[in-house]
Amino acid sequence: MKKFIKNKMPDRALDSQIESKALSGGYTILELLFYIAFFTTFSLLVINAIIMMTKSFKETSIYGELAQGGVIMERIAREIRQAENINSIGANDLILNTKGFIDSEKTVEFKFVSPNIQFWDAGSNIGNLNSPNIAITGLAFTEIITAKGKAVKVVLSIYSNNDSLARVQNFYDTIVLRGGY
Amino acid sequence: MIEVLVAASIITASILAAMAVAQKSIHVSRQSFHATQAVFLLEEGAENTRIARDNAWSNVVALNSSETVGIFTRTIVASNVNRDNSTKDIVASGGSADDRTKLITVTVSWSEGGSTIAKTLKFFISDIFS
Repeated sequence: MKKFIKNKMPDRALDSQIESKALSGGYTILELLFYIAFFTTFSLLVINAIIMMTKSFKETSIYGELAQGGVIMERIAREIRQAENINSIGANDLILNTKGFIDSEKTVEFKFVSPNIQFWDAGSNIGNLNSPNIAITGLAFTEIITAKGKAVKVVLSIYSNNDSLARVQNFYDTIVLRGGY
Repeated sequence: MIEVLVAASIITASILAAMAVAQKSIHVSRQSFHATQAVFLLEEGAENTRIARDNAWSNVVALNSSETVGIFTRTIVASNVNRDNSTKDIVASGGSADDRTKLITVTVSWSEGGSTIAKTLKFFISDIFS
């Protein structure tokens, strides 16, 4: 091969071309150091971003689960609001006298059986108000007797089972029994 | 190598943008959750006013309370209501004061990411038991 090239080109021209290729095609140690540093920084940034996004996703889903506390509280508030009277009230248990369809008398009950809230309708356990990924740490009922009727103060404490820190969040509400007027 | 640098820069910028969105999503989720808690505190404020009215109208007349519940601050303020002399409709100005109706303003505020967020609930309450 060399012999062939030699035959086609003068020696000086060939040396010059080889020298030029070496200069333009290779990397200096400084360039290599720069690229390694750049890619290391880039990799760190990407890894950090992935960790951050994973944490964000988890945190967002935890808040989404905790928001279920609002749904539970709304259900309790609605039942209390339309109740006619309080049948019995304990620190963690509330039984209300209310009306079902076609004005039939019945009771509804909210019972705190750690870590769930059971809902009982006319003596039957309907199920838990909370989903399995939510743990109830407290459900407290306090009766308020007014000159014209009754009210119930409710405090609900929950946390997400997916939260490694188990941060407890509270919901507060007080509801006047409209059926009691 | 320039092409690789440009591509890497674009990817980096995209990842940084995604990271910013992820951070913002935490902020929005937390704010939304606190707003849900605040809604119940507002409702409780309204119900407490109703309880005060049920016990005695005089409890409502000069109602002006403030309390702290966790990270939230709740204020309940009663203000006078005027009615048109002929139609008896509630008017913003003019007319005559109706001593048996009050405008209740319940405000729940909390600090979120360095700024204060406030939710307000306004309603009229009347002395229906005297």
